[in-house]
Amino acid sequence: MAERPEDLNLPNAVITRIIKEALPDGVSISKEARSAISRAASVFVLYATSCANNFAMKGKRKTLNASDVLSAMEEMEFQRFVTPLKEALEAYRREQKGKKEASEQKKKDKDKKTDSEEQDKSRDEDNDEDEERLEEEEQNEEEEVDN
Amino acid sequence: MAAVAVGNGAFQEEEGTGGDAAAPQPHAPTSAPGARLSRLPLARVKALVKADPDVTLAGQEAIFILARAAELFVETIAKDAYCCAQQGKRKTLQRRDLDNAIEAVDEFAFLEGTLD
Repeated sequence: MAERPEDLNLPNAVITRIIKEALPDGVSISKEARSAISRAASVFVLYATSCANNFAMKGKRKTLNASDVLSAMEEMEFQRFVTPLKEALEAYRREQKGKKEASEQKKKDKDKKTDSEEQDKSRDEDNDEDEERLEEEEQNEEEEVDN
Repeated sequence: MAAVAVGNGAFQEEEGTGGDAAAPQPHAPTSAPGARLSRLPLARVKALVKADPDVTLAGQEAIFILARAAELFVETIAKDAYCCAQQGKRKTLQRRDLDNAIEAVDEFAFLEGTLD
């Protein structure tokens, strides 16, 4: 696949929606302008990745992490993005934690059921209560996205 | 779950304010339904990140933040380009508005020569 990085575009529909929401009502955008913005967004990601990677390498790490990207934003003079990005990251971490606990819970239920089905009918109710206890702060494990 | 207020409509299904006619939905997410924190599909962002030969691995959080940053970037550049269109009293953003914004705004300097 001889795709240049610049050809990896983000979906047009999403880009268009983001643009329209950023602009006042009644303002539209030409096709050329929209596709240029889409390409600009791809270039932005590539540039940010490269910057972030520098920070990772400085820290002698092989995996890009969130703080590398935040540092890259500052480096690229997009400091104004840093605060909203941090907020989004918090929300994302909460969501991920919730998902993880939900799937771990399902696994526990499954295991318990295979052990002894009869005794656990009452325990299932307890498990439901456990699922609501999502407030404990655990250390996030980084899940690596590898090739 | 507390509502995520990041200043934009994170609920894709409920957008009534946009007014765009029948915008096709992008690929359905495999992650949790309901409040989505980024609209750009993480898979595409990941593809862009992997295109960099110097990058070995990228954590999921990093991909997510890059996606979110790209959205913020799109909003920002659209608004800046709009300022130029407004001066010309036009209601349609043209390519030249974008070019003007890129020239005028220092942060967009990295885009010069890349959009042709």
